Amino acid sequence: MSSITVNTNQFSSVVAESQKPVLVDFWAPWCGYCRRIAPALEQIAQQWADKLVVGKVNVDEEPALAQQEAIEVLPTLVLYKGGVAVASTVAPTSKASIEAFLREHLDG
Amino acid sequence: MEQIYDVIVIGGGPGGYAAALYAARAGLDTLVLEQLSAGGQMALTQQIDNYPGFPDGIDGFTLGERMEQSAQQAGANTILAQVEAVELAQPVKQVHTSDGTFLSRTVIVATGATPRPLGIQEEDAWVGRGIHYCATCDGMAYKGKTVVVVGGGNSACGDAMVLSRLAAHVHLVHRRDTLRATKVYHQALMEAENITIHWNSRVTHILGQDKLQAVALEEIPTGTVTPLPCDGVFVSVGRSPATQLFEGQLEMDQNGYLVADESTRTNLPGVYAVGDVRTKALRQVVTAVADGAVAATAAEEYLSGV
Repeated sequence: MSSITVNTNQFSSVVAESQKPVLVDFWAPWCGYCRRIAPALEQIAQQWADKLVVGKVNVDEEPALAQQEAIEVLPTLVLYKGGVAVASTVAPTSKASIEAFLREHLDG
Repeated sequence: MEQIYDVIVIGGGPGGYAAALYAARAGLDTLVLEQLSAGGQMALTQQIDNYPGFPDGIDGFTLGERMEQSAQQAGANTILAQVEAVELAQPVKQVHTSDGTFLSRTVIVATGATPRPLGIQEEDAWVGRGIHYCATCDGMAYKGKTVVVVGGGNSACGDAMVLSRLAAHVHLVHRRDTLRATKVYHQALMEAENITIHWNSRVTHILGQDKLQAVALEEIPTGTVTPLPCDGVFVSVGRSPATQLFEGQLEMDQNGYLVADESTRTNLPGVYAVGDVRTKALRQVVTAVADGAVAATAAEEYLSGV
């Protein structure tokens, strides 16, 4: 499965009602580093599809959502379990570091 | 049996993908190992105006993607993996990564360079929360605010110009009394109304509790320290080569760049260094790409026993 775009209206339902944990990428079109991590996130969405859903929030289109989730730096990846934010990481440097973050926080 | 590649390229920037393109077109089994996505440092450049063939400029990320596509079309594969260790001395070289070990008869090192830190004690704690290394990436967060740019080279001056269009005020802090940047930047900087240049100065501390509020600015000749209120700091004090992986195996100069001349050959047979990671006079996309072609051809000759 590829990543899904999430807006303010769907956010609580998509994130809260997902059977699997959801990794949300808060990004913006003008953010260069957001573009750099996007291909790695797409691969993760597919390779981790049995364990995880990857969502994307464009903070330019959803400023209220970014504020609600206290996003200050882009890109920020937030991991939600049962609708609750359990961990976040800012501007990860590699696909491997995103996967290490997931391994650390997915179980337990 | 495990596959033994002809060529493994470490790093998917312009040098790496040019090498992969030439190697794959020469019929060599070619793998590119990239940690994140195509383009390397170039991917963070908003507009590249000095790469021939793009009169309207092209953004670095798109150019990187296209270079990857060219290499892929020629038959080179890319795996997104972090290289953790290498064994380069033997005829069959081993590259250990986050996604397993890959074997190859030749290795082309295209790991590039990364921003050098400011070097103050509390730096790590503020990274991403007030200290940044890429104005084009993080600048938008400082719209209408006050920022400090540290450095005096082309990239620092470029960053100051980018930020002056967003921020209310930009303080450029430079430890010397003249800019190292090429002339094209000087006039633009002097003319920008919201840029103040602090000569002979350096940032010694970050001040603030939860939020960055100021930097401690030291005037180097006198040692006088005064707080300079700001919301963010952009560090642009040069780059260091990403060569830690190769310590003890590949010869380096005193700054850590891999020693190789225009042939791109390193001290080990079958191992080549291309792009910014190599000792060279001019570090540009166009010279990285040239290195890639040279290295792939050298690898081809090495593999055929010439």
